[in-house]
Amino acid sequence: MNTISIDFKPFVEWDNSPFILFDHQGKIVYLNNAAEILFGHVTPKEIYDIAVAYAPQNFGFMTTTVSLNYDAFSFYALTVGYENDDQIAIRLYNKPRIRQNIPIQKDKLITTDINILLEANIALFKTKNQNSLTLLTDQEIPRFKIDQNNFSKLLRKTLDSFRASDSIAISLRMLIGEHIIIAGKRESMVQLRIEANGRYVDHDDEIKALTENTHIACSLKERSIKLDIPLIQ
Amino acid sequence: MEQFYTKSPQVQNIIKGLNLTRTLFVSSIIIGEAGSGKKTLARSLFPDAVVVSGYNQEEVQNALENHDELILTDFEKLSNPNALKFDNKRIIATANHINNQENIDNLFAFIYNLPSLKERIEDAVYIRAIFIKEACTNLMIDENDINTQEFPIDLSSNTKSLKKSVYEHVMYHAMGAKEIEEAIYTYLLKHMDGNNAYKEHLELYEKPLIEAGLKKFGSQLQLSQVLGINRNTLRKKIYEHHID
Repeated sequence: MNTISIDFKPFVEWDNSPFILFDHQGKIVYLNNAAEILFGHVTPKEIYDIAVAYAPQNFGFMTTTVSLNYDAFSFYALTVGYENDDQIAIRLYNKPRIRQNIPIQKDKLITTDINILLEANIALFKTKNQNSLTLLTDQEIPRFKIDQNNFSKLLRKTLDSFRASDSIAISLRMLIGEHIIIAGKRESMVQLRIEANGRYVDHDDEIKALTENTHIACSLKERSIKLDIPLIQ
Repeated sequence: MEQFYTKSPQVQNIIKGLNLTRTLFVSSIIIGEAGSGKKTLARSLFPDAVVVSGYNQEEVQNALENHDELILTDFEKLSNPNALKFDNKRIIATANHINNQENIDNLFAFIYNLPSLKERIEDAVYIRAIFIKEACTNLMIDENDINTQEFPIDLSSNTKSLKKSVYEHVMYHAMGAKEIEEAIYTYLLKHMDGNNAYKEHLELYEKPLIEAGLKKFGSQLQLSQVLGINRNTLRKKIYEHHID
């Protein structure tokens, strides 16, 4: 088969796994669509350093199994290759995802103003802690359906992870341009983000358990917790 | 309607939290020592809620089936808290202590710890004033006739001990010689016994007499003159009754 005449670029361009070509200084020469999205969550420098660290000793290509996580992105392996001293390429392999098919328990969901739940949880937090805390919220977020009790538990655990932290910053905002399909309907999303100089991780398993079987996605990091919450109508 | 008063920022945050969730279907629990005001707080914020006690599990379960809003007191007394379903209910529970933290964690969205009155001295002073007013009205005593500032604040059992000590002190001030006689009479009728009762019970008269005298006149010399007894006799009695 003559493959010379085939232009492979669109295949790389539309590959679901990130592909990046760097020059010898770490500047990006080329990146595909998946890599562009990934760079919203990790710096090119970090990926370049990984590419250099996992590069084969001589010219050629080498695949290494390694687990990498950036927010919602998880990779199980990477291939690094170079055929000259000027350029180095890296491809990260998306971890296969199980398609979640969580039924909505409509009888448990009540149309709620999320700001009220958040404020009540901050009041609860303040009964136990005197840490400085800032809240940046969008009062225009429409009311949406949520399991009030379960979500309150989730908020309590999330905030409690910051019980000994300084300068806690809480923000609640609409995620522009991001949607989630739930039961065939396209729903908008809000993001609750809590950040501080550090946090406890003892509740992490419980936080994960509380978001399980809901459509809330949590991202637990060393200094922050993010909850992406669908605005189920 | 019951009123709950507080100046404590911690308790104000509890009230804020409960007020914010007033219209929501979430479960909350207030944990605090007996007499710290949990029930009063719950009833003042949720005056229309049905009140059930954890002493009766069956009653609680029936109430849960028939009502959306409940005040559940004595939560720690429930025989089987795990059998309760709080989904889409507005529950305000109170407990003196927690038996099982995990249960509480699973059942309740909001867990509030109400500080005891010892930790809220300003609140205790305010509540004492209310009790004094109430005691004076009930016992038909003019509040201006007594020096309430000298009343000690007994917070060993929060509002319970505070109320008791206030009533006792208001009574002391209200009693005349006749009432004291009657009180001693009642006491002696109950306790007089043995073969040395005269000496044993003389203390009831002599001890407060000398204590009050020392406080009022300062020196033993002066007091012996006021009492019209010998200084040595007074000293002997002070020693006998272990008065400092």
